[in-house]
Amino acid sequence: MVFEPTAVDDSGAAIYMGVSESQDVGASETELLECLRAGEERCFETLVRHLGPQVLATAKRYLRSDAEAADCFQDTFLAVFEGINRFEQRSSLRTWVRGITINQCLMRIRKQGRQQEESIEHLLPVFDENGDRMELSGMIRPSGISASIDKTRLKCIVREKINELPDDYRLVLLLRDIDGYTTKETAAILRIKINAVKTRLHRARSALKSLLTPVLAYGE
Amino acid sequence: MLTCKEFDDFMVDYLEGGLPVWQKFMYWLHVKMCRECANFIRQYRRVIALGQQAFDSPDSAVPDSVPEELVKAALAHRTSK
Repeated sequence: MVFEPTAVDDSGAAIYMGVSESQDVGASETELLECLRAGEERCFETLVRHLGPQVLATAKRYLRSDAEAADCFQDTFLAVFEGINRFEQRSSLRTWVRGITINQCLMRIRKQGRQQEESIEHLLPVFDENGDRMELSGMIRPSGISASIDKTRLKCIVREKINELPDDYRLVLLLRDIDGYTTKETAAILRIKINAVKTRLHRARSALKSLLTPVLAYGE
Repeated sequence: MLTCKEFDDFMVDYLEGGLPVWQKFMYWLHVKMCRECANFIRQYRRVIALGQQAFDSPDSAVPDSVPEELVKAALAHRTSK
């Protein structure tokens, strides 16, 4: 089930994105919520230990430094603790916390301001005056790369290349392709138009494709 | 017949299933007729899959546990507010 996104609030706590996961609110989660709302200290610790790995992984995915991710981790749980009474259980607690984490990351990225980033124009497809594609087709397998790359190394390369994308493109790619938000939800989260999401997403994927050309042949 | 540029412009809509039937047919026709675009969309789909796989398992930087000092700091942060 997919709910309509609500407005994104700068406090972080009010954010709610409705990508409902398969693990809906279960009995144990309901108990945990009751306990959190009652202000029991042990339950806050349970929550941090239970959802901490997810929060830290998400923060590391969106932010470019471990120190920033650690600060975001603290701010996220503070927003969760402060907003727990407003959580309406329209999604799982995990989904709600993930939304808050992403919002906290985006607030940090916005605060940092626009960085001087390299253009990706040279990574995008080129067309001639007739609209025909001017790109070498087929797989390129450069000599510098081993004939086999293990899956772990391949994942690492893909993550590195995603991180090389400018934020405008990287964030859309992470929200749409990795975190699974819809185009409409991504537009609401980033406060941009739906068409801008589509354009950035296509450019991000096309640029990533160029960056990954040396390894695209492996594991097919 | 679509040009490669037109094919490229609507790729996101095509993959999201947002194109009307006749445009889908034009897309399909272009893929059948154009080797470059057929290769491009095949690699493009693979890039999407690789991105998803890069973050889908414990070896993809999802920690099994959070450093103890970070847990303690988050809890202390709460009580200090």
